[in-house]
Amino acid sequence: MALLATLLALRKDARILKIPPYLSAFLILVGLGWLLVLPLNEYSRATYVSENALLPGQVHTYFTGSEHNIFRAYRHEVAGLVDMPVQQRTEKLSELFRATNLKVATQKYAYTPSGRNISNENVYAVLQGPRADATEAIVLMASLKTMDDEHNYSGVALVLALARYFKRWSLWSKDIIFLVSGDSTSGPQAWVDAYHDAHDPSKVESLAIKSGALQGAVGVEYPAGPWGHRYDKLHVVYDGTNGQLPNLDLFNTAVNIASGQMGIRCTLQRMWNHRDTYQERLQTMLRGMLSQGLGHATGPHSAFIPYHIDAITLVTVGDGWHDEMGLGRTVESLFRSLNNLLEHLHQSFFFYLLLEAKRFVSIGTYLPSAMLIAANFSITAIALWVQSGRWQEPIPNPAATKPVSKPATSESSIEPKKQAEEPTQQEEPPEQKDTEPPTTLVSNDGATAIIPTAALPISERPLFLPAAFVLTAHLFGLIPLAIFNTLPVEELYPSFLLAANITILLPLGAAFFLSQFNRPTPQETTLIHCFSLLFLGMFLSALATLNFSQSLMVGLLTAPLSFVRRGKGGLGSAAQFALLAAVNPVMVVQAAAYAAKVPMLDVLVKAAEGWEIWGLWTQVVMWLVWWPAWFCGSVVVASGLI
Amino acid sequence: MLSFLSFLLCNALIACAFAGSDYHERLLLRPLPQSTLLASFNFRSNESSVTYEQQNFRLFPRSLGQILQHAHTKELHLRFSVGRWDAENWGQRPWYGAREGSNGVELWAWIEANTEDEAFSRWLTLVNNLSGLFCASLNFIDATKTIRPVISFDPEGDHASTSNLHLLHGTLPHEVVCTENLTPFLKLLPCKGKAGISSLLDGHKLFDAAFQTMALDVRPVCETPGENCIVEMEQTVDMVLDIARSKRPRDNPIPRPLPIEEIECDTSKPYNAPDTCYPLDKRTEPAWNLTEVFGKSLKGACPLTATEGPESETLCINTPPERTIQVNTTGQYTESLSASDTLRCYKLPTGAEFDLVLPEQRMTTGLVRGEPHLYAARSINGHGQERGSVQVVIKNPSTTDPVEFAYLESLPWFMKPYLHTIRVNVPTSTEDPLKETYYRPAVDRVRGTHLELRLVVPPASTLTLTYDFEKAILRYTEYPPDANRGFDAPPAVIRILGPFQSADRKGLYLRTTPLLLSLPTPDFSMPYNVIILTSTVMALGFGNIFNLLVRRLVGADEVPEVAGGLKGIVQGKIQWLMGLFGKHQKSE
Repeated sequence: MALLATLLALRKDARILKIPPYLSAFLILVGLGWLLVLPLNEYSRATYVSENALLPGQVHTYFTGSEHNIFRAYRHEVAGLVDMPVQQRTEKLSELFRATNLKVATQKYAYTPSGRNISNENVYAVLQGPRADATEAIVLMASLKTMDDEHNYSGVALVLALARYFKRWSLWSKDIIFLVSGDSTSGPQAWVDAYHDAHDPSKVESLAIKSGALQGAVGVEYPAGPWGHRYDKLHVVYDGTNGQLPNLDLFNTAVNIASGQMGIRCTLQRMWNHRDTYQERLQTMLRGMLSQGLGHATGPHSAFIPYHIDAITLVTVGDGWHDEMGLGRTVESLFRSLNNLLEHLHQSFFFYLLLEAKRFVSIGTYLPSAMLIAANFSITAIALWVQSGRWQEPIPNPAATKPVSKPATSESSIEPKKQAEEPTQQEEPPEQKDTEPPTTLVSNDGATAIIPTAALPISERPLFLPAAFVLTAHLFGLIPLAIFNTLPVEELYPSFLLAANITILLPLGAAFFLSQFNRPTPQETTLIHCFSLLFLGMFLSALATLNFSQSLMVGLLTAPLSFVRRGKGGLGSAAQFALLAAVNPVMVVQAAAYAAKVPMLDVLVKAAEGWEIWGLWTQVVMWLVWWPAWFCGSVVVASGLI
Repeated sequence: MLSFLSFLLCNALIACAFAGSDYHERLLLRPLPQSTLLASFNFRSNESSVTYEQQNFRLFPRSLGQILQHAHTKELHLRFSVGRWDAENWGQRPWYGAREGSNGVELWAWIEANTEDEAFSRWLTLVNNLSGLFCASLNFIDATKTIRPVISFDPEGDHASTSNLHLLHGTLPHEVVCTENLTPFLKLLPCKGKAGISSLLDGHKLFDAAFQTMALDVRPVCETPGENCIVEMEQTVDMVLDIARSKRPRDNPIPRPLPIEEIECDTSKPYNAPDTCYPLDKRTEPAWNLTEVFGKSLKGACPLTATEGPESETLCINTPPERTIQVNTTGQYTESLSASDTLRCYKLPTGAEFDLVLPEQRMTTGLVRGEPHLYAARSINGHGQERGSVQVVIKNPSTTDPVEFAYLESLPWFMKPYLHTIRVNVPTSTEDPLKETYYRPAVDRVRGTHLELRLVVPPASTLTLTYDFEKAILRYTEYPPDANRGFDAPPAVIRILGPFQSADRKGLYLRTTPLLLSLPTPDFSMPYNVIILTSTVMALGFGNIFNLLVRRLVGADEVPEVAGGLKGIVQGKIQWLMGLFGKHQKSE
C-alpha cells in the first residue's frame, strides 16, 4: 500500500515529466543496440528444415547425359528468339512447349504506369501430374530478361529442358506449371493476378488454362549466352513485395540442396564473399532489412508471395566451375522436395532476418527492436498529453520549509526542449522571495486543508484544432501520393523538385498562417505534437509486425520528432527546424538515391510502377504516415520561430 | 466422320450384347494421341432376379448380393477414380462419361424405403458394408456428404415392380484409390483375374495410368415390364496408359536420359553438333504389345464367356485399318473386322497366352477420336482466408446445336455459397441460360449444400458460371490430419440432357476436377501453449492460496524454543511422548 501511495503522490510531481525524453532516447538506443547484437551466435540460430515431408536432397537426380545436349540446343533456340517480335517469339516458345506434349497458353498484358508502356506476353505450359487431380500446382519460371536487364538465355532454356525432362516422370503428385514471363517483375505479377482472378481485364488477359492451388514457385535467372558460362555461386533471392517473405523452409531446402547435394555455395543479399564474420553477418542483415523496408519486387518470385505462395529465385553469380546441369539438378531436387509436400508450407518461419545462408534471427528475437523505437513515440505522446493538461505555472509546495522559487511567467511552460538538448544542465538556483504563495482553505467532510490556489483551477484541453490539424496533415499526404503515382514520366522529376521545396516551406507557411489567428496556443502546439506522435507510435508498432524493417527505418528517421519542442524563437528553434528539414522524407529519399548512385527519376518511375503493378505500399507509408508526422513536428517547431 | 461413326458403332456393339451367356467381358483398346492408349475393360454378369431373391448366387457375387439385399438397394453405382480425362487431346469420354466418377470415390444408389429417414438409415448400412467390402473409407459418407439429386441422375434399370425408391448420392473427393481397392474389385469377377481379359489388370500399371476409373453398376433389367427380370452387375475399368511410361520395366522404372545415340537430332539446325542436339519429334506411332504395356500377359479366354458369336470376341482394338497388328499366341484364335475395318475383334484361345504386337509405324490417317459434347473447367478464384468464388467455364464446340445440361454441385457445409451471387454469362447470347435451380442450403455440421442447375449453352459459345462463397471457421477438433493442405470440394457433375441422347439409359456425363479449398487453420501447437500457460498460472495461484489457507502464522516469540540438532530431536520426541502419556492418563 505504501508503494501505491508513493506512486500516486509521484503523479503530481513535476519531476516526472522530465523522465520521458530520457526514456525515449534510452528506448531508441536500446532498439539500435538490440539490432547490433542479433548477428552474435547467442542471439541467432542455425537454420533447419522444419517440414519433415520436404526431405531435401534425399533423391538421386538424373538430369544429366543427353539432357545436356538438348539443353544446349534449347539455349541456341532461346538465343535466336530474344530479338524476335513478341508475337513470333510467343509462337516459337509455345511450339517448343507443345513439342513436349504440354498444354500451352499465353497471356498478354499492358500496363501504363506514369505514362510508360509496359506490355509483353507470358507463355506458360501445364504439366498435368499423372496421379494429380488438378488441386495443387507448383511453378517453375524464368523471365526473358533478368532483374539486371540481361537476356536470361540459359534460364529460359533450362525451363524448357526441364519441362521436357519432367514430363517423363510419373511421380508428380502436383501439376507443374512452366512460366516464361515477358519481363522479370510485371510479367509474373500479371500472371499470378490473373491466376487468382484479381486482375484488371482491361490491362491483363485472363488465363485460358488454370490448375489447382499454387503451393510454391521457383524462379531461375541464368543469363549465360548460347555458348554458356560457368558460375561460382547461387544467389538466392527471397524478398517479396512489401517486405513479405516466403516460408523459411523453402529457402532452407534450396540452400540445403544446392550446397549439400550439389556442392554449389549459396549466397544472399548480394554478399558475394561471405566469410561469416560479425561484420558480414550484420551487413547481410542490414541489406536484407533495406530490401525488405523498401518493399520493392526483387525478382520474378516477388509477385507470388502476397498471394501466400512461397517463392524464391535462384540467380547464378560469379565465375566458377558449376555448369547449367548443376543448376538443373538443383531445381530437379527442389521440385522433388516440393512434390513431397502434403500440406502448404506452414511449419517454419514467415518472419525472419537472414544473416547468412545458414543462420537466421526469428521474429521473437528481433521484433522488440522496432517495437522499442515505436514505443518511444508513444511515451513522448503520453508525456505531452500529461503536460498539456498541467497548470501553466509550477505549484509551490505550501508546506515547504525552503522559500518558494519565483513562479514562471505564463508563456514559459516547462521546457523539455532544453532538457533534451542539454540534459545535464541544472535549473537555475531559485530566487529568494519573501511573499508566501496564495493559498485557499478547502474543507470537505469535516476535514480542512490548505491548498495552493494555483492548483485549484481546472486546466482544459482544447482538442478541436489539434485533432483537425493532425487529420488534415494526414489527408494532405494523399495529394503527393496521387500526384507521383499518376504523372507521366517527364513530369515526375520536376514535380519531385517542387515537392521538395514545398515540403521545406510548408511548415513555415502553415505556422505563419495559423499565427495570423494567434493560434496555435502553446497548449495546442503540445497537443498537435502529442496526437501526431501518438498516431506515429501506434502505426509503427502495427507496421513492425508486418514489415519490421520499414517500421524500423521510418522510426529511426522520425526519431528527432520525439525531442523537438516549440521554442521561443532564436537559435534553438532555428537549429531544431534545420535538423528537421534535413530529415524530411523527400530529402531522405533524395539523399538515399544519391548514396545508392541511382538517378532520382528511376526511383520515382519504379515507385509509380510498383504502385500500379505490384501493389506496393511503401509510398502510402511515406506520404500518409511519415510525411504528415514530419510536417506536424515541423509546424510545432516553426510556430516557435514565427 | 467415318471414324467417329465407327466409334459409335463399336460402343453400341458392346452395349447391345444381351442374350446368350450370363457372363460377358470385353476389352476395347483405343490408341489415343500423344502415345497414349485407352483400355476399357467391361465385365457383365447376369443373375435372374428370382434366384437372386432366393440368394442362389451363381455369377453374381454373394458378398455384394447380400449387402444389397440387406440394405434394400435396388440399383447401385460405385466409382473409384484417379486422374483426369484430357478431353482436348483424347476426345470423347469412354461410355460417354456414364461409367466415370468423381476423383476419389463416388456412390449413388436407389434404395427402397417407406420414409426418407428409413432410406437414409439403409443408405448408412449400405455405405458401411461397402466400405468393408472394397477397403475404402466409404463409411465417411455421412449426412454431410449425402445429397438427393433431382435431375442429374435417372435409374438405369427397370423398377416397375418397386415403388418408394430414394436416390442418395455421396462423394469422397480426397479418397486415395489404390491397389487395395482393385483386389476386392477383381474378386467379384467369376474368373478373378486369373483368366480372360481381367488377367491383364495389374495394380502397378493401373495406378500408374494418366486416368483411371473403376465402376461397379448393379441394376435390374426386365425384358417386358415386371417379367423375366434379371439383376445385372456391370464392372468397368477404363484406363489411359502412357505407352512410353508403361513399357519401362518394373525393375528399372526411372526415366533416365537416353544415350545420345538413341535420340534423333535435327541435323538441319545450324548449331547441330556432337554436344548439341535439338530433339526431333517422332511422328510415328510407338511400338507396343499387351505384355509390355500391362505388365502381365493375357492368359487366354475366361471359360465362362460365350464360345460363339460376337460375344465370344472379348478383345477388340479400334485403330485405322492401315495399322499393322500381329497376334502372338500358341492357341486357336479368330479375328473379325467390323465398322469399316477400324474395329478388330479377337476370340481368345482358352488356356493359351495371347498377345497383340503393334510395331512402330508411320501413319497416314489420323486416330479415331470423337468430339466431346461439352468441355468444362472449374477453378477457385480469389485468395485469402475469408471468402472466394468458384468459376465454371463450359464450352460448347458444336456450331449448330445448343446443349442443355444439368449441373450438380455438392459442396461441404463449411463452403457456404451465396445463391444471390450466381451469375451465368454467355457473351454471345442475350437469352437467360439458367432454366431451373434446385437448391438445398447447408446446415452447419448436419448437411452440405446441394445445388442443381439446368442450363443451356448456345452453339459455339462459352458459358461462364460464377458464384461467391464464404469459408466457415471449423472447430479445433473438426480439422482432419494435414489440415494445412486444405479441403477437397467434390467435382461438379454435368449431365447432358439434350439434344444428344445416349443409345441406352446410361446418360451422357462429364465431371470437372475437384477443388482445393484452403480454410483458416489454427496453429495447432497453440492449445499446448495454452495448457502450459494456464497450468503455470493455476500452479502459482493455487500455491499461494493453499499457502495462505494452510500456513499458521504465529509470532516469533510464540514458537516453542526447541534446540536444533540431535538434541532438539530427542527433546521433541520426549515432549511428544510425555504429551501422549498425559493424554492417556486424562482419558483414563
